Amino acid sequence: MTGMDFANSPVVWTFAGAIIVLVIFQAIKFLSLSKKAARDVGISETDIKRAVKTGSITAIGPSIGIIIVAVSLISLIGNPLTMMRIGVIGSAPIESMGAQLSAQSAGVTLAGDGFSPEIFNLVVWTLCIGGAGWMIFTFFATPYLSRIQTKLTSKPKGEYLMGIVASGAMIAVFGSLTGAEMIKGAPYIFTAIVAIISSLTFNYIANKKGINWLKEWSLGFSILISLVAVYFFI
Amino acid sequence: MQEFRNASHKWGKITLGIAILISFALPIYISFVMGYHPGFSLILNSFLAYAAVVAIVWFLEPIMYFPVLGVSGTYVAFFTGNISNMCLPAVASCQEAVGVKPGTDEGEIIGTLGISAASLVNKIILIPVILGGLWLLTVIPESVQEVFPFVLPAIFGAVLAQFAGKFPLYGVLALVIGILINAAPIPLFTKNVLCIIILVGIMLLIGKIRNKDNTASE
Repeated sequence: MTGMDFANSPVVWTFAGAIIVLVIFQAIKFLSLSKKAARDVGISETDIKRAVKTGSITAIGPSIGIIIVAVSLISLIGNPLTMMRIGVIGSAPIESMGAQLSAQSAGVTLAGDGFSPEIFNLVVWTLCIGGAGWMIFTFFATPYLSRIQTKLTSKPKGEYLMGIVASGAMIAVFGSLTGAEMIKGAPYIFTAIVAIISSLTFNYIANKKGINWLKEWSLGFSILISLVAVYFFI
Repeated sequence: MQEFRNASHKWGKITLGIAILISFALPIYISFVMGYHPGFSLILNSFLAYAAVVAIVWFLEPIMYFPVLGVSGTYVAFFTGNISNMCLPAVASCQEAVGVKPGTDEGEIIGTLGISAASLVNKIILIPVILGGLWLLTVIPESVQEVFPFVLPAIFGAVLAQFAGKFPLYGVLALVIGILINAAPIPLFTKNVLCIIILVGIMLLIGKIRNKDNTASE
């Protein structure tokens, strides 16, 4: 049996299936938990629906975006492990890099000669423990982070500080991520600028005319418009 | 709200705990039940090579995004993944659509509604794609595939603008800082954190000066 045959064997499918079922269960569970909490603090049903709808629309672009990397990963490590690693924390580029590093340290190429079940398992060890890193830290650290937040917001200036840190962190991270893409070259700069302008325009129109559904679609539309624009640019 | 926090801790820990167990169970099962063990020295070598690149991110990301995601959002985001390209944009656009502030209780609840919905949609799209696998690449025309690398700048730019609408000055500032820091020859994992520290620092400073002006003119 080659490593690739083994990679698509029922054993790997079973574990991969289990973790996907779990991540879907978690999403449904937190959907109902946060719906209940929303009602408790007096958020209206319309706003709850709007949030769920906006979240769903926002997910479409990024999900389609990772298809190519996900599919290329399948040819290297098989379908079920790809599902297990892309379906939960870990990003497609990081996983491809991890798989590559594992194969390198054993002196073979992925899906090539010498890719035995043992080497495949080496990739499994590396990627699974690697992905668990985030989960283990989140598992132990979140209660502490929560306590720090509660302490901060209980002080008079805390609420104001929390607001600044939350929105500042968000703007800074996206400034940094956009900047990192823009230094890759002209088509990247072009895409980012079209996206910025479309997003500003949609939000301006939505606020000015009070069109709420446009706010929900603004991110999706902006991504689509900039992709169509760059299609003709390159 | 306290009730929601407690339930989030409980279900967050249950789901993450089982996920961690499954993550370790698969390689252990293949090694010791099926007998395809690559040997611990190889595992250690390979893991260290991988950890050298990502280990620092395991700690930085959950801390860095906590003010935005809150307790419930953190548990969901760090299981479903795609934090910067999907979860954070979902939080941003939901809070904008509903009109709640980040860092507040309402902001956290609305954000979690958005992330949970996003996580579900992501799996619904991803599962058939992975089952369909390589066949898909033969169907999507090559000229369309060429656009895929540009999905990231499109998402990031659009989300940045969503905030820049409210704080135009900080939006421009963030982009300038972002470009400079990313062009600088410093380790990758420090870049986002550095941008956060610089921008939040500037925002606090400006807030302080404005406060002083207010009290002086009163």
